[in-house]
Amino acid sequence: MNPAMTTRTLLRSAATTSVGRTPIAARTLASVATSQAAPAAEQKPRIKKFQIYRWNPDTPEKKPYMQEYELDLNGTGPMILDALIRLKNEVDPTLTFRRSCREGICGSCAMNIGGTNTLACLCRIEPDEKPTKIYPLPHTYVVKDLVPDLTQFYKQYKSIKPYLRRKDAPTPGKENLQSIADRKKLDGLYECILCACCSTSCPSYWWNSSEYLGPAVLMQSYRWMADSRDQFKEERKAALDNEMSLYRCHTIMNCARTCPKGLNPGLAIAKVCPAAALRGVK
Amino acid sequence: MSFIRPTLLRPVVAPRFVAAPRTAIAAFHATPKHNIMPAGPQVIDGTINDPAPVPEQNSKHGAYHWSFERLLSVGLIPLTIAPFAAGSVHPVLDATLGATLVLHSHIGFQACIADYFPMRNWPTLHKGSKILLNIGTAIVLYGLYEFETNDVGITEAVKRVWTA
Repeated sequence: MNPAMTTRTLLRSAATTSVGRTPIAARTLASVATSQAAPAAEQKPRIKKFQIYRWNPDTPEKKPYMQEYELDLNGTGPMILDALIRLKNEVDPTLTFRRSCREGICGSCAMNIGGTNTLACLCRIEPDEKPTKIYPLPHTYVVKDLVPDLTQFYKQYKSIKPYLRRKDAPTPGKENLQSIADRKKLDGLYECILCACCSTSCPSYWWNSSEYLGPAVLMQSYRWMADSRDQFKEERKAALDNEMSLYRCHTIMNCARTCPKGLNPGLAIAKVCPAAALRGVK
Repeated sequence: MSFIRPTLLRPVVAPRFVAAPRTAIAAFHATPKHNIMPAGPQVIDGTINDPAPVPEQNSKHGAYHWSFERLLSVGLIPLTIAPFAAGSVHPVLDATLGATLVLHSHIGFQACIADYFPMRNWPTLHKGSKILLNIGTAIVLYGLYEFETNDVGITEAVKRVWTA
């Protein structure tokens, strides 16, 4: 390959050689790929409407409102986040939302899309006539537009001491070893990215977020209880043994339904409840 | 007062009887002024880097409460089936069924109070509701005692209503 070729020509050649679907690799994060702009002009425009929650802290006397945007899906990536980024770049730079990794591993772009809490980067744009409604995570204090204040969520996460706690140190030069079977017990727990989709979908957490820890944090609490290397299991259980922290779960199971990573916080809580109740019983 | 930012003044001086401007979007779910018990301002204990406070351990309202609740629920299954299977039950068993049902509902209502009138936000309402609930449960239990000792009992009453 000619090293003098610029990135843009590389992208263009990649786009022209592919048949059918335009390659996503040709699209940069910031803007729509130039390679897609040219055929877009010839194609029939596919207009999609988005209704997005807007609220600006600089004008608090103005109530929050829904703003409608129209976007041609030709030349837009397949995901809601692609549409949001394009809207911000090309239509309305004041539109505010969080995003970082655009591949479902950072949890920044958690929002309520079409009535479901999910990650904008993992949610496909429905190519239909109906407008897609996008709200911030429900029952959160909104900082601006689609940006929720997750302070309490992070403080609660910190309160469960989400790290390995040992009473003795491993032999010098050795790590805290774990069998393959014990490691398997953490599958379905460690994958959580703390996007807060589950916690903000939980009615119990809506009513009592100041005291109830919520599904995400409780699942992480269980993640450390289930870890064979952790030596503070009883203390972890005791910390949940009160009226509000754990037992506000009423198995509504919105958490498992909404989790964009396909995890099941409800199942983890169902394991914590009897574990905490049978604390000290060996 | 014009030197103060109007946005700072607004929540303090806005008279309560002035209707808030309504948004045209019907589907919008923000809390209107007249809504019952609107969410208060966000309360953060300590700085943003402190962990949320861990409440004191209280098994009576935590683990034991949960275990008792499950025991009652599990116990209700045979107690409810027994009258169907046997046709009629001993008055003591009948009274046990009644008392278990009342306690089960009592715990259910307790959960409603803890969920919807949390102590932290609505202390008076929370305590008042609990007192009312306790009075109600006591009256129902007394009524149940009277019903079991001087009348036909729950199973028989349901049987009569069922075939009526």
